[in-house]
Amino acid sequence: MIRLEKINKTYFGAQPLHVLKGINLEIAEGEMVSIMGASGSGKSTLLNILGILDNYDSGDYYLNGKLVKDLSENEAADMRNCTIGFIFQSFNLIPFKTAMENVALPLYYQNVSRKKRNQLALEYLERFGLKEWADHYPNELSGGQKQRVSMARALVTQPKVILADEPTGALDSKTSAEVMQILREVNQTGITMVIVTHERGIALRTNKIIHLKDGIIENIETNNPDQIDFNREIK
Amino acid sequence: MDFWREIFMALGRNKLRTFLTGFAISWGIFILIVLLAAGNGLMNGVSEEFSDQRINVYVIYSGETSKPFKGHGTNRSIMFDDKDIRFLETEVRNVDQVSPRIYQNGFATCNDKSSSIFTSGVRPVFKDINNVKMVEGRFINELDEKNREKVIVLDESVRDKLFDKGVSPLGQFVFISGIAYRIIGVSEKMGDSNGNGYVPFSTLKTITRQNRYWMLHFSVKGLETKEDNEAFTEYLRTQLARLHEFDPDDTSAVYIRSRQEEYLQTMKIFNTLQLFIWIIGFAMLISGIVGVSNIMRITVKERTNEIGIRKALGAKSRSILASIVTESLIITTIFGYIGMWLGMVAAEVGGNILSKVQEGNEFSINIVPTIDIRIVLMATALLIVCGVLAGFFPARNAVKIKPIEAMNYR
Repeated sequence: MIRLEKINKTYFGAQPLHVLKGINLEIAEGEMVSIMGASGSGKSTLLNILGILDNYDSGDYYLNGKLVKDLSENEAADMRNCTIGFIFQSFNLIPFKTAMENVALPLYYQNVSRKKRNQLALEYLERFGLKEWADHYPNELSGGQKQRVSMARALVTQPKVILADEPTGALDSKTSAEVMQILREVNQTGITMVIVTHERGIALRTNKIIHLKDGIIENIETNNPDQIDFNREIK
Repeated sequence: MDFWREIFMALGRNKLRTFLTGFAISWGIFILIVLLAAGNGLMNGVSEEFSDQRINVYVIYSGETSKPFKGHGTNRSIMFDDKDIRFLETEVRNVDQVSPRIYQNGFATCNDKSSSIFTSGVRPVFKDINNVKMVEGRFINELDEKNREKVIVLDESVRDKLFDKGVSPLGQFVFISGIAYRIIGVSEKMGDSNGNGYVPFSTLKTITRQNRYWMLHFSVKGLETKEDNEAFTEYLRTQLARLHEFDPDDTSAVYIRSRQEEYLQTMKIFNTLQLFIWIIGFAMLISGIVGVSNIMRITVKERTNEIGIRKALGAKSRSILASIVTESLIITTIFGYIGMWLGMVAAEVGGNILSKVQEGNEFSINIVPTIDIRIVLMATALLIVCGVLAGFFPARNAVKIKPIEAMNYR
């Protein structure tokens, strides 16, 4: 599903910063992977490149069999819209739209009719237990509810890949566990899942933990979440 | 359809932002229009005051020679007579109508009231040449002139002294130097000169036995430029010099004054005033544009996060740009229109109040604010276009930056 070959990325500021130094990585369809590393290790940059939110300097990135390189803005937008679902630490909901409208927004950019959009959005909200909150604005929702709205939004287009950047970063441990449980269930429907986190407890709920350090992959740890006692491990 | 629904939703949900942006635009246009109207009002008032200087009129006064010529000595006074009038009327091209003017200073009495009066003997055309405005009755006509009728036109100040308020003087008789004149009309006061009366030239000429005049008025046609004017004056001087045998270079023998000169001067004042108003209006327009541009720029800046989110969700730059520009277009158009109407209403109301305040104040300039609708529409359109452009450029920059940076923008 995702294949990275010798990806390099440098930020050119006052002091050029070589953030990713030749990343090689392969993530198969349906995998649930986490990326861990200290801040500055390049994990967010890597996720942004995976999400075509940022470009890279050299190397090749294949997403769903297609080379993602030198895409025009419109091609990138289409690819993001159809293939990728995003979940952000700060939720990134549009404050003046209701939960339902937020969920329906990606479909608007697919030119889905309004009626169908709202119907689908409601379906997804129901799936996450938020049907009664459909007409509420983000500032009327709790953190966990907001993250569930953003998950519904990420899933409504039925993407191949979900990219989550610190999805539990702004949530308490109980809500975090709930969110991770949902993400697991989503993964079990066959959607590839990449989660960036710096919390070991979160990473342990994925099948593969990629450790990033100073722009290179230090090691890849395989993990079986079913064998872990989370009551002891998490936070 | 969906596009518009999306836009109106965004506008409706951000009521404060929409209102503030709209207010900036309305206010800019409002101030602009009120100012333009006030400026125009001033222009109108002034041009009304100067309206009698907008007719092409010449006056020649008699003078004294200062140079000897053909055996004549100096200090010979040059007066005009009927020959000169005939000459002007028949032989000088450009001359339209001639009215000589003779005077008699005296007292007018009526019943037991009296007033000093400065009586001018003039021809009917004097009314047009000197822009005499009638309050009631009529001015002297050709028949009066031909038949040497003893009729008189009084100005308001004389009427007020001789007659009680509300009593019509028309048809009544006044006595001046023992002669009874029938009152045929009342004229407005001419500037600061009070106590005028007008009688037919032929009548006063007969009564006072004057046949030499020191002042001739005539209107001219077809002298449009300063050069025409100067050439005509020069021609007139040489012709008068020939008739009266004085040195054509002797500028003190006769004085030739033309309203054309005054007219040109008046126009100079007008042009300066107009320029001043335009500069103020332009400055207002600029500050309006700056205000509108600023608020649009801030509005877009504020939306950078939203733009980032939309892009991450698969929005194309073009669609974001289109919706932002359409939003600004709607706001600027609607509120621009509101500002325009409010401005026009304010100008109208202000004009009414001003004219009420000025009623009965004889020295005031009649300021009637008027608005040139084309200028208003153009200014409004310009503000709208600038508002949209001011939204467009920062929006274009915002959609250019990478979605991840836009989302993290604070």
